[in-house]
Amino acid sequence: MNEGISLIELILGASPAVQIVMLILFLLSIVSWVIIVQRWLVLGSARKGVFSFEQRFWSGMDLSQLYKEGSQMQQENMQVVGMENIFRAGFKEFMRLRQQGTVDGEAIMEGAQRAMRVAYSREEEKLEKHLAFLATVGSVSPYIGLFGTVIGIMNAFLGLAAQAQATLQVVAPGIAEALFATGMGLFAAIPAVVAFNRYSALLDMVTSSYITFSDEFSSILHRQIHST
Amino acid sequence: MNNAFNNLIIYNGYPLSVVVAVVFHTLILSFLIWLQSNNSLDSLELVQPTIIKALFIDENPQVTNQRNQERQRLERIDRERIEREQEQQRQQSETDREAERERQRQEERERSALREREELERQRAIDLQRDRDQAEEQRRLEQTEAEQRRIEEEAERRRQQEVSEAAAINAARNEFELVQSATAVIQQAVQQVWNRPPSARNGMRAVLQIRMLPTGELVEARITDSSGDPAFDRSAENAVYSAAPFTELQSLPINIFNGNFRTLSLIFQPEDLLN
Repeated sequence: MNEGISLIELILGASPAVQIVMLILFLLSIVSWVIIVQRWLVLGSARKGVFSFEQRFWSGMDLSQLYKEGSQMQQENMQVVGMENIFRAGFKEFMRLRQQGTVDGEAIMEGAQRAMRVAYSREEEKLEKHLAFLATVGSVSPYIGLFGTVIGIMNAFLGLAAQAQATLQVVAPGIAEALFATGMGLFAAIPAVVAFNRYSALLDMVTSSYITFSDEFSSILHRQIHST
Repeated sequence: MNNAFNNLIIYNGYPLSVVVAVVFHTLILSFLIWLQSNNSLDSLELVQPTIIKALFIDENPQVTNQRNQERQRLERIDRERIEREQEQQRQQSETDREAERERQRQEERERSALREREELERQRAIDLQRDRDQAEEQRRLEQTEAEQRRIEEEAERRRQQEVSEAAAINAARNEFELVQSATAVIQQAVQQVWNRPPSARNGMRAVLQIRMLPTGELVEARITDSSGDPAFDRSAENAVYSAAPFTELQSLPINIFNGNFRTLSLIFQPEDLLN
């Protein structure tokens, strides 16, 4: 018996269709891992941002002072994100309406709330970007792998039909390459599914804290309107 | 400031992610390859199947042929020896007869010498006698010469016979090698596909007689000597049927095939079982 064929020989010796499937799966795996890492950074920092901004917000600091700090950061070319964006949008709208001399308190509140809602949906959009791709990779790549397997095994049996004597050596490489395609499909799918579930939970947590914050903030604004 | 760092990551996170992902995949690939290159060394030992050692003796006509030839050779040598002895005896008796005749002639000469003095008329007869003696002598000389030639011819014939015999032995050895290699091929093919049933025990022995065509196709396999276990017999039969056709036999010269492989007896005997 010769020694087993190596992984590289297996991949290079595969039929073109299976090779294409393998290439697609490999690229999918790379892209999904790019997204996994990038989303991890984004969502992780968003969660940290929630905690740090809530701390600053509830530290009893003057709201206009907080707003000014944010503007200063923007001037320094640093982007203001997450919860702070919602706060800034609501506060800006509130101040503008008040300076315009709008006397109707409900109108001011509505305007501020609308601005916050818009900022919230923008933030949410930013956070859940690409998550759908992970879901797609997770559900589709096993099928792609299976497709490669079917083609590979088909080729193996066609090769077998051409042989007068059917030996294991004729079928074995074809089946190995076919199974390798399935393996790659699973390899791409499993991390994508795990990451998608984890990030969905994280996203839910962050967005719900945004909603809670905007409710609390509008109640503060409401109090301010009616106190004056 | 912590916040500033977070901001940087959020909006410039892509390069980092790409690097991480590519590095991750490279690591996994190289790990797989490393794993396999390590494994292939181990699996070399694992792949070795338990040795199926089937004693595979064919009742080779070749061997009997050789035995026959050897016997014929010995017989021939015996016969030649006997012939030689007879020849010697004949020569011996001839020389004896010769001596006898010589003695007679001597006496005759003595008698004639006596008679010479008495009978001069018989002189001519004595002359004639001498002439006859000479002729006799001549004939004897010729005879011994012919004898010599015959012996030489005999030796020559024997030498030639020996040479042709050596050639025959050489050819037989070639044939023997061919037969052996073909037998080994059949043996290997059968061994590879022979699945022994669980009921196989050491000491079981099944003899199969198979008939083949010159193309290596199997015409018939018949159990001539059962092991007593039907499953074992059947496994042997199946092995032969699935190992056929023995295409290697096509390359054999037809006379060797006819002499050795037309019918062949295979003995199936498990030897490596622990029981």
